[in-house]
Amino acid sequence: MKKTLSISTALGVCLIAMSANAAPANDKAADAAAASKVTTVCQNCHGPNGDSTSATFPRLNAQQSDYIAAQLKTFRNHSRDDPHAMAYMWGMASQLDDASIIGIANYLARQKPTEAQTGGSLAAAGKKVYMNGVEADNVPPCAACHGDHGEGNGEMPRLAGQHADYLKKQLEDFRSLVRTNDIMHANTKNMTDRDIESVVSYLAND
Amino acid sequence: MFLLPRIRRTLTIWPAILCGLVLTLGLPSKAYAVPSFARQTGLACEACHTVFPQLTPFGRVFKASGYTMSNTSKVQDVDRMKHYLMSLSDVPPISVMGVASTSSANKASDANSSKTSTDFPQQLSIFYAGAIADNVGAFIQLTYDGQAGNFGIDNTDIRFADVATIYGHSVIYGVSLNNNPTVQDLWNSTPAWGQPFLGSPTMAGPAAAARIEGAMAQSVAGLSAYTYVDQSIYGEVGVYRSALQGASVSNIGPSGVPPTDVITGVAPYWRFAYEYDWGQQSLELGTFGLQASLHNPTTVAGDSFAQSLQAGPTDRFTDIGLDTQYQYIDDDNQVTLTGRAIRENQRLDASFAQTLSDNPSNRIDSANAVLSYFWRRKIGATVGLFNVSGSTDVTYFGSPNGKPDSTWGNVEVDYLPWLNVKLGLQYTAYTKFNGASNNYDGNGRNASDNNMIFGYIWFAY
Repeated sequence: MKKTLSISTALGVCLIAMSANAAPANDKAADAAAASKVTTVCQNCHGPNGDSTSATFPRLNAQQSDYIAAQLKTFRNHSRDDPHAMAYMWGMASQLDDASIIGIANYLARQKPTEAQTGGSLAAAGKKVYMNGVEADNVPPCAACHGDHGEGNGEMPRLAGQHADYLKKQLEDFRSLVRTNDIMHANTKNMTDRDIESVVSYLAND
Repeated sequence: MFLLPRIRRTLTIWPAILCGLVLTLGLPSKAYAVPSFARQTGLACEACHTVFPQLTPFGRVFKASGYTMSNTSKVQDVDRMKHYLMSLSDVPPISVMGVASTSSANKASDANSSKTSTDFPQQLSIFYAGAIADNVGAFIQLTYDGQAGNFGIDNTDIRFADVATIYGHSVIYGVSLNNNPTVQDLWNSTPAWGQPFLGSPTMAGPAAAARIEGAMAQSVAGLSAYTYVDQSIYGEVGVYRSALQGASVSNIGPSGVPPTDVITGVAPYWRFAYEYDWGQQSLELGTFGLQASLHNPTTVAGDSFAQSLQAGPTDRFTDIGLDTQYQYIDDDNQVTLTGRAIRENQRLDASFAQTLSDNPSNRIDSANAVLSYFWRRKIGATVGLFNVSGSTDVTYFGSPNGKPDSTWGNVEVDYLPWLNVKLGLQYTAYTKFNGASNNYDGNGRNASDNNMIFGYIWFAY
């Protein structure tokens, strides 16, 4: 009995091991395809491994994979229509299938993040806005969704280490509805220019 | 550059004839814009251009990658190893471009000419610009020249390119087959893509220039290999041979006159550049050059043209250039500053032997600096300063004082109601022309008589 159980157990372990080994082969191929796409296409604007030089193109290294995937789909279906989305990303995402989107998102999410630059004259004030919001103006704390360290969560993007000019532009675009997002518009519509500058100063790296 | 009947800006053994023919050539009238790239990539013009035809850093990558980046659906075929045998875009990479203009100079060039001119069109071009196959792309321009009244091949650059990651570095590598030295270059500081992008086709421009500044355009075929590492380090070497249009090198031309400026063997070409990008800015420093030994068959009296090509003295031109380009690009402000300086050493064994030059060797120095600024890619201005100077050689350069020197500047204001439509107004002023400021031709014409106002509309689709 013990031998039978041992054999069955062994067989079961083997089967589990075999099935576990079968999946990584497909993942490896998908990873390689995604890496190739990123290194030959995406990085031309978004920089090596997503660490871009120009604030025109956001840093994508260590960005939340769910956020990247969601944005690529909004570019592909044109539901995100701010000027840069239209000028650059509608075309770039037009031929991506769902599997490619997931592969690209996962690849970029695994890259080493660019850290926020600490200090700066407005950074202390920016931290207060980020952590506590601005109660008087009904501006909620950004950390509630974007994490205590700006790392993001799920479809809420990483903000820490992003280009200052890019962050500033997105907040202004959310506020003015150039970039349409009901939640972010509600969160930013009462932010002053000073609020935006200070929270960007806290989060960004340029 | 347009197709022209083998007229070249650089003075050769017939300076008097050339000066007359320069009236036809005038200032550079090249113009380029290819929306087929936008249709192929799905990217708006601003991705690759500050304002056409100036390139952004991404535009340089697109060009270096062989014009093949594509986001269209395709008709494709693969072999058993999944290698692409065919990849044809559903959207043919065809574009058209047109320029209409009007010009007015201070003084007509001669008694039989008008000082004003309207050119409708100045230029009409058709482009094949885009991918041919998976790693092969082309920029092929065919142009109708309104002044010359002819239609023919214009700038052409056909490439194979690929990209590899080597020890973590992005390495674009490729081969270019082209018909104009520097047409394949990535920056707007070298001659083929340098300022001014448009000029009046009606009045005389300065006669002297370095040979690499357009004299060989569309009369050569060049093959070069290049690499662009991390969008930063660029290196290219290649060779050019004569590929004359309208006449074979091996035969006497249709008029019975042998073709001129035939390259002996091959003319080597090189280009090295380094670009540093930071934030919204970029700075490029580079060098480029060409060496061409030219046969002019009439220099060997009594021999056949074929014999002249095989032996006999040549005029050797060695061009060495330095260039730089600075850019600041964001949504509101687009700044491009370019500069270049070319030293041309002319060893005139053929011309001197035939008493077509006073000196066995001459020198030409050509330099310019151009600053352009655009606000939101809608309204902009460009200021350029240009200078050509050289040795004293009355017979070779054809000027009364023997100098080829010219100094001029231009100012241009532009308005783009749409990204593919440009309205421009340009003023060019000369302080020195073909050797002197006053009475440069010995008949009382002054440099300022060539000052020109030039207005144009330039569209592309």
